[in-house]
Amino acid sequence: MSKKLSALTIVLLFLLSMGSVFAGGQDDGDVKPIKFGGVWPLGDITGAQASKAAQLVVDELNANGGLLGRPVELIVIDSEFNPEKGAAAIERLATVDKVDFFVGGMSSGVHLGQIPTLKKYKKVTMWTGAASHVAENAVGSDQDWYFHLHPWDYNQGASYVEGWNDIAEKYPEISIKKWFLAYEEGPFGSASFEATKTLFADMQIDGEAFQSAAAGGGDYTAVLQRAKEYDPDVFIWAGYGADALPMMEQAKAVNFSPALFVGAPPGWPSDFGESKLAENVTLYGMWAPSLNIVSEMSKKFYGEYVTKYSEEPATYFAPLGYTSIDIIAKAVVIAGSVETDAVITALKEISYQSPLGETISFGPANVISNQGFRQQKILQWQDGVQQVIWPFEFATAKPTYPFESWK
Amino acid sequence: MNNKKIYAGTGIGAAALLAVFFLYTNPTVLVYGVQRAGIYAAIALPMALVLGIVHIVNLAHGEMMMVAAYLSYFISKTFGLDPLLAAIPTGIIMFFLGILIFKTTISHTLNAPELNQLILTFGVAMVLSQTVNLMATSQPRKISLDYVSSSATFGNVSFGVYDFIFPALAIVFLLILMYFLKKTRLGKAASAVGQNPRGARIVGINVDLTYTVIFAIASAVIGIFGSFFITKFSIFPAVGGAYTMKSFALVAMAGIGKLPQIIIASLILGVAESFVMSIPGGAGWAPMIFFSLIIIVILSRSFRSKQ
Repeated sequence: MSKKLSALTIVLLFLLSMGSVFAGGQDDGDVKPIKFGGVWPLGDITGAQASKAAQLVVDELNANGGLLGRPVELIVIDSEFNPEKGAAAIERLATVDKVDFFVGGMSSGVHLGQIPTLKKYKKVTMWTGAASHVAENAVGSDQDWYFHLHPWDYNQGASYVEGWNDIAEKYPEISIKKWFLAYEEGPFGSASFEATKTLFADMQIDGEAFQSAAAGGGDYTAVLQRAKEYDPDVFIWAGYGADALPMMEQAKAVNFSPALFVGAPPGWPSDFGESKLAENVTLYGMWAPSLNIVSEMSKKFYGEYVTKYSEEPATYFAPLGYTSIDIIAKAVVIAGSVETDAVITALKEISYQSPLGETISFGPANVISNQGFRQQKILQWQDGVQQVIWPFEFATAKPTYPFESWK
Repeated sequence: MNNKKIYAGTGIGAAALLAVFFLYTNPTVLVYGVQRAGIYAAIALPMALVLGIVHIVNLAHGEMMMVAAYLSYFISKTFGLDPLLAAIPTGIIMFFLGILIFKTTISHTLNAPELNQLILTFGVAMVLSQTVNLMATSQPRKISLDYVSSSATFGNVSFGVYDFIFPALAIVFLLILMYFLKKTRLGKAASAVGQNPRGARIVGINVDLTYTVIFAIASAVIGIFGSFFITKFSIFPAVGGAYTMKSFALVAMAGIGKLPQIIIASLILGVAESFVMSIPGGAGWAPMIFFSLIIIVILSRSFRSKQ
């Protein structure tokens, strides 16, 4: 009898344990997180802040019960601005971490290295960086899973032309007939010069290369002397953040003060605005904290970011990083699923009020099917703050003209 | 009159003629050339000391300057000091950092082939730049200083005058280092160690201490220069690499162990670069001028030695 009882007890225990295993398995299936895989250059402020902003959305979603009742997870890998490492990160996220969506991106060069791997997995991808049309060509048409937030280089060029023409029309005292472009001698600066000549073909344009501080240079006196002799209405320099303040200091030293002083680096040093020399410098960008005045979404994003991280988002990659997760999350809710086709359909139909001011929906660009933002903004440093001067619907201040900062 | 005097006389005459020519046609070439030369000489002198006197090949030279510039930046920001004043604590900290780097790494390769030193110091350079990258990010930093933009105007020509601080700094570095090498016991010992370490050890010179102190002094000089560097340039973790290469090239041009010739080599290079950059479309040619001059100097030296 005792033997039978023991055997029965063992069988019951076995069945109970199996039941709990299956039940546990069922529970695990229910709470399996929805995973986002992000790749940004974390050593750079753009990537660091974009990934922080992306995590902000993930934390918000989890605080509100997750997505479709499932927790949300963001796994970020550092691309280190290296195309091979960027591609390996995508491979790892797809095979080891088994993410549902890819987000991230800064630098066209890195992205070119990642595109073949992204094409291999065809997961819904929301890219925050890469402006070069070469990257767009590499993605190619009929890639419905690929969504690109950052404007392409030709979008940016077109918005500059539109912006300056609008400004000159609204403020007739602003002359934009004669341009001088100081450009760093690498591919970025040279391409900027060629694009400017094409875009502003009906205007008088001259230019001169300089060796950027990022490439071991940092002496702009020769190019500034040439620009001074040319006496342009608009002086633009296309270099890197490291050139920003020394460029202004040396312009003051050679007493060069054009009516419009425009800087067009991909990113500005966070402390540039603290300098008196920043006053009235015009710049291009997608976002500035001043947008909080005209955009509720911008204000919400800014407030949450500052509260969580006790620092100010210094580049527009922060709201782009936020957008990359938030827009997919909203599409997942609409689709009611993380299934690729359903999310793609939802994303194609979405109208998203972004923290960058614009309400965006995806539509075709020159090559790809799903392009988000198409416009850059023209901003100006005024009293240490980046104010939006164009598009006028987001304008937070009137342009200060002429520059005349040294006086 | 011997050949040396003829060469020197011809050189001085040519330089004077060129100076008059530039003053007449484009005086800013001369102004900016001298200013550039000051920057090159000031950063090359500590390398000339380490490479020329005690024969240590330090590929982390530029990265040490970068670390010094960051130190100076944070000292200035934290204590509200002007970077030129922050040069003092930065120089002291770099002196001890030099000792640390030397004792933990370079001292173990002194008797090994030079390739080992090259690879080791290249590794040190990587560690320094990656550490700064992780701690301070790659975001460029610059302290805005009013006096950096001070200018002078002669006729129609305006130019910055602050950058004349670099030639002055280079001359001060040179005078101090020359005094140290010629007049102090340790300096004389350093020259002896550089010529023949084994012989120096036999006659009772503490070779290890000499190496350590020379490397530390060079590090302190790099530290002081780093503080001056941040007044003019933005800093970021990769900013130092280019200065390692330029310093090496200048030491090669001047001749190993010849500190005063660094000033002359820097002047030739600075004015040549400034001249090329003053020509429309010339900026892209400036680095080529740099390497062309080095090739010419090294080839002519080799030709002369064959003769």
